[in-house]
Amino acid sequence: MVAPHTEPIDGATTEVIRHHFISAAEEMRMTLTRTACSPVIYEVRDFGISIYDSRLDLVAEATGLTRFLGANDYSVRKVIDYVGREGLGPGDVILSNYPYWNGAHTSDATLTAPVFAQDGGQPFAFLCVRAHWADLGAKDAGYVIDSTDMHQEGLVFPGTFVFRRGEPIREILEIIRFNSRSPDIVLGDFDAQIAAIRTGQRRLAGLLEKFGGDRIDAAIGRILAHGEAAARRALADIPQGVWSATDFLDDDGITDEPVPMKVTVTHRDGRFGIDFAGSSPCVAGPVNLPFGSTMATCKVAFKALTTPGEPSNGGHMRPLDVHAEPGTLFHATYPAPTFTQWTGIVALELIFKALAQAMPERLPASSGGDVPGFMMIGVHPDTGSAYAISNNDAVGWGATTRHDGADTLNHPCQSIVRNTPIEVMETRTPMFFDRLEIIPDSGGAGRYRGGVGLRRDIRFLADGEFLTVMKKTKTRPWALLGGASPDATRTILFPGTSRQRTVGTIRVAVAAGDTVSIRTAGGGGFGLPRERSPADSAADIEDGYVTGSGAAPDLGGPAVKAASK
Amino acid sequence: MTTGKFRLAVDIGGTFVDAMELDTQTGQFRFQKASTTPRKPSEGVLNAIEALGTPLDDVDLFTHGTTLGLNAVLERRGAKVGIITNEGFRDIFLVGRANVPDAHMYDFQYARPAPLVPRRCIAGVRGRLDYKGRVVDELDEDGVVKAARHLTEDHGVEAIAICFLFSYIDPAQEQRAAALIREALPRVRVSVSSNIAREHREYERTSTTVLDAYIRPIFERYVDELEGRMRESAFSGRFLIMRSGGGAMTAEAAKLSPTNTILSGPAGGIAGACFLGATLDRQDLISFDVGGTSLDVCMIEGGQAVAAFEAQLENHPLLISTYDIRTIGAGGGSIAWFDEGLLRVGPQSAGAEPGPICYGRGGTEPTVTDAALCLGYLDPDGFLGGDMHLDRDGAERGLVNSIAEPMNVTFEQAAAGLFDVLLAKTVGAVRQITVERGRDPRESALLAYGGAGPLLGPLVGREMDLREIIVPNAPSGFSAWGMLSADVVDDYSRTHIQLLDDMSPHALEAIYQEIEGEAAASLQRQGVRPDGASLTRQLELRYLGQEHALAVQVSSNLDFAATVQAFEEQHEARYGHRMEAKVQTLTIRVRAIGSTTKPPLFKLPAKSGDVSRAMVGTRQAFCFQRRDKTDFAVFTRDKLAPGDRISGPALIDEGSSVTVIHTGQSLVVDVYGHLIVTALSEGPKK
Repeated sequence: MVAPHTEPIDGATTEVIRHHFISAAEEMRMTLTRTACSPVIYEVRDFGISIYDSRLDLVAEATGLTRFLGANDYSVRKVIDYVGREGLGPGDVILSNYPYWNGAHTSDATLTAPVFAQDGGQPFAFLCVRAHWADLGAKDAGYVIDSTDMHQEGLVFPGTFVFRRGEPIREILEIIRFNSRSPDIVLGDFDAQIAAIRTGQRRLAGLLEKFGGDRIDAAIGRILAHGEAAARRALADIPQGVWSATDFLDDDGITDEPVPMKVTVTHRDGRFGIDFAGSSPCVAGPVNLPFGSTMATCKVAFKALTTPGEPSNGGHMRPLDVHAEPGTLFHATYPAPTFTQWTGIVALELIFKALAQAMPERLPASSGGDVPGFMMIGVHPDTGSAYAISNNDAVGWGATTRHDGADTLNHPCQSIVRNTPIEVMETRTPMFFDRLEIIPDSGGAGRYRGGVGLRRDIRFLADGEFLTVMKKTKTRPWALLGGASPDATRTILFPGTSRQRTVGTIRVAVAAGDTVSIRTAGGGGFGLPRERSPADSAADIEDGYVTGSGAAPDLGGPAVKAASK
Repeated sequence: MTTGKFRLAVDIGGTFVDAMELDTQTGQFRFQKASTTPRKPSEGVLNAIEALGTPLDDVDLFTHGTTLGLNAVLERRGAKVGIITNEGFRDIFLVGRANVPDAHMYDFQYARPAPLVPRRCIAGVRGRLDYKGRVVDELDEDGVVKAARHLTEDHGVEAIAICFLFSYIDPAQEQRAAALIREALPRVRVSVSSNIAREHREYERTSTTVLDAYIRPIFERYVDELEGRMRESAFSGRFLIMRSGGGAMTAEAAKLSPTNTILSGPAGGIAGACFLGATLDRQDLISFDVGGTSLDVCMIEGGQAVAAFEAQLENHPLLISTYDIRTIGAGGGSIAWFDEGLLRVGPQSAGAEPGPICYGRGGTEPTVTDAALCLGYLDPDGFLGGDMHLDRDGAERGLVNSIAEPMNVTFEQAAAGLFDVLLAKTVGAVRQITVERGRDPRESALLAYGGAGPLLGPLVGREMDLREIIVPNAPSGFSAWGMLSADVVDDYSRTHIQLLDDMSPHALEAIYQEIEGEAAASLQRQGVRPDGASLTRQLELRYLGQEHALAVQVSSNLDFAATVQAFEEQHEARYGHRMEAKVQTLTIRVRAIGSTTKPPLFKLPAKSGDVSRAMVGTRQAFCFQRRDKTDFAVFTRDKLAPGDRISGPALIDEGSSVTVIHTGQSLVVDVYGHLIVTALSEGPKK
């Protein structure tokens, strides 16, 4: 849809203004990563930075983790609703981490700030900078996997002014200082977020001065229209229909019961609906997903299908509708616990599971299905200092209609994140690795096989606490059109001893000499294994991705309990 | 060694080979181009030298910039490599850091590119060190030889990369394995990780070692052939090859560590920018290199380009020293199109073939160069000194069809709009490198070179309110000129992780002296006389718990208090805060420099008369201050003299590039002939 030329702005100026907005978001990102104290921010990129117009439509965002982008879209509306527009002034900054409004667990703290034209009046734009905070006094240090209500998950801010007219509210910052286990890092990161907001405000003020509010408004209108047109054009090539899928989350962290998840995707008449009806009600443990987080997951799926190459704006998401009943797994309500955000990771591929049957040329079979994370916490015998080092392990990716799934990559929902080197982990913690190798035969067989998973054998050289987070160890990754489903991810605690057991998510004390083995899942296969080219099969055997021991391809079937060793 | 009177620099680019000759007696430069010959790169080099006509027997120093190693990787033409690593860790190279490139973050059907080394060519052998370098498991010596035989005999491997965990602490197991393989299989080339990059992180070290093994044979062949052909023409001077991270190395040294040359494409220009920045006393300088397909910017602080100790080639990390360069896909060949109401520019490029429409080689999509022609900046009959006629009508038709009609504007507005968009992207890139370093762009000067640098630079300066824009002599050949200033450089590093509190200056001094011994020996091998050699010490430090580190210069007396203070000051400058945490060493670095006599910057003679001597007429062109066409005074650069002043709007033409200054800007010619563009004081500012 080409906008009529009678608009007061032309396509070149619009593109210039669009670049200025993206550049402002990128400069905010650089300011944040340059001044943050916490490695999670500057290395894992656990943050989300967005710029909104006065109607709270997304205009530009900085590159970051896909599942962080999108949560701001939800939280900015809730925060502005809560504090009201009337009282806002230049230099104000509002803090929020109330999970049900902020679209994330309590550790993700979002700062929202209005931007005013110099002559006062109504805010002309809003900036959001979301970042992971090291600690806000939740029940456990590091990560929480078994809370039973929000109040065990740390200090909560619904939408609280931390700056008024450019002046910090000391009382609030002192409350944070006295409630955090690592106040220096948290307040250091808070300063970094403020610096990012100030950068954004300066850049937008310059933009206003250069182009004037009316032209910028007109440009934003065209930028959003362009985004919508691009999404609709892509959608026109996608088949219409209604598709459902079900799967199970391992457990809620409190009981051992699998948690049912269901999604129905409806693509009809230019609308793309994602509905989680049929999923579990809210559960007792912290796997409930705030609706803003559900929205963010759906946006990642929709973006990947329609406009993966474009920097996001609100126009791209206009054809998308997301629905989940309040009080259910995908729409947590107070006081449901929400700390373990793995549900959003697993839900991304639940949506793909519904769609892939209808459009296998666009979507792969399931990856290993999860982000198998582990963490060790303790005091290092060399330095006497506390450490908490985590790593997210790779899984195999699903096969596609055109090629094998990629071997050993981070889960698609955070595929740009890097693992932690062995030499770094062995230096910083008393973990010693006996093995880090691919698992032969772990990719689902098929005309194209799934990527292989990874085996990591850990020996502890000193006492400490070991934590794993993985929520899809009880059901196999799904395959496509006759491909095979591989074994699910699993962790084997203390193998070869009387204490051996196979687990998913666990927090356990370990002693020097103990061992753990993590086995991550490969991806699902595509097409019948007998259709695989003999050359590809021979290469797999020669490279050891497949042993050729004649194991019959397992064609999936019902949910299985994780295999023990 | 001879004492010829000429120095020669030859830089291979994607389209052209640039050759620059310096007559050391007169200080005169001469510059020629020849076409790149991808199938046989040495051919293009010799053609360019022949075009210059420099007598090779009278050349004292030949400095060469080549992207041969890079191309060998991009085109997968390297050696068949095998890897020997620890048992149990066979897949370190294949798993890597398990991430997909940022550009593919939404691509859930991402396929990993075929690896440089397939899994069958990777073997694990017993032997293991712990994080302190203690032997946990003795090296299985029979296993090493067995594995090497298996890789070479069963899989035809020609070169073996050896990388063991924690070899950066104690290389003994790696060195022993290499010796065993060399003894058993003398024809197999061996690359050892602790020789190539003695730094932590097993995947990055393995990847660097694999790339070394992969490109070494092809690099050796190329250097031997080129050197042989030049020696046939009686060349008997020194032969240097540019390094990615500054300076150059002798051809012999480059053959031993070719990974150091792999990303040297932009290095010549940056070496030149550092030299000019220091000579002209510009503390903060932004190098701004605009070619046909891309734009490279790099921050130069106090005469030093911002360095990085890790680079990326495709998806392969390389632990080499390099420059921290931001590249965007915007250059003279970038294509513009109209997309659902927005005017887009780049990153697609028309490249050399078919090139812009106005080149008349079959290009049909309008490019930046076509817009520049339509805006009046380029003279259709004076391009490349009149060697090439530009098709202005064709460029205008292309702009009308692709942009002006769908936008419902005139072709001129379309062309100006294209420049607006290009400028917005460019300004974003320049602003980001300054923001990233915590610097105010308004205090920086911009050095504009490459064919299109002088055309865009003043526009960027105007938009960003930069202090000044400097256009060097022969800006399109500046990279080759910069090579003439390159010193002989070698870098040595060693990861050593320890709390500074737990370390004695004595122990650190011992490590430095060991590394400096290697560094000094390298310079000596490369023919640097001891009185021309200098060694500088750097220490990478971080707060305990951080992953990234900052490099600080350390003095020879290793004053820890001063070192920590320097670290904390730098941390505050870069990151805005200091921390309470203890300070830890990460990497110990030594840079060895064998200083080269710099090309003299000759002062231009004064010329009689005023600047009108250089004026050749006027041309209608688009002024971005007035946003309209107006008369630009046209000057020819070779008639300008020091002290000449020109007020915009004006065009300064020199055949291979044109400097465009707009209303509100003025230019002064400095004593060396550089064009210094500034905003007119008290001038109208938008």
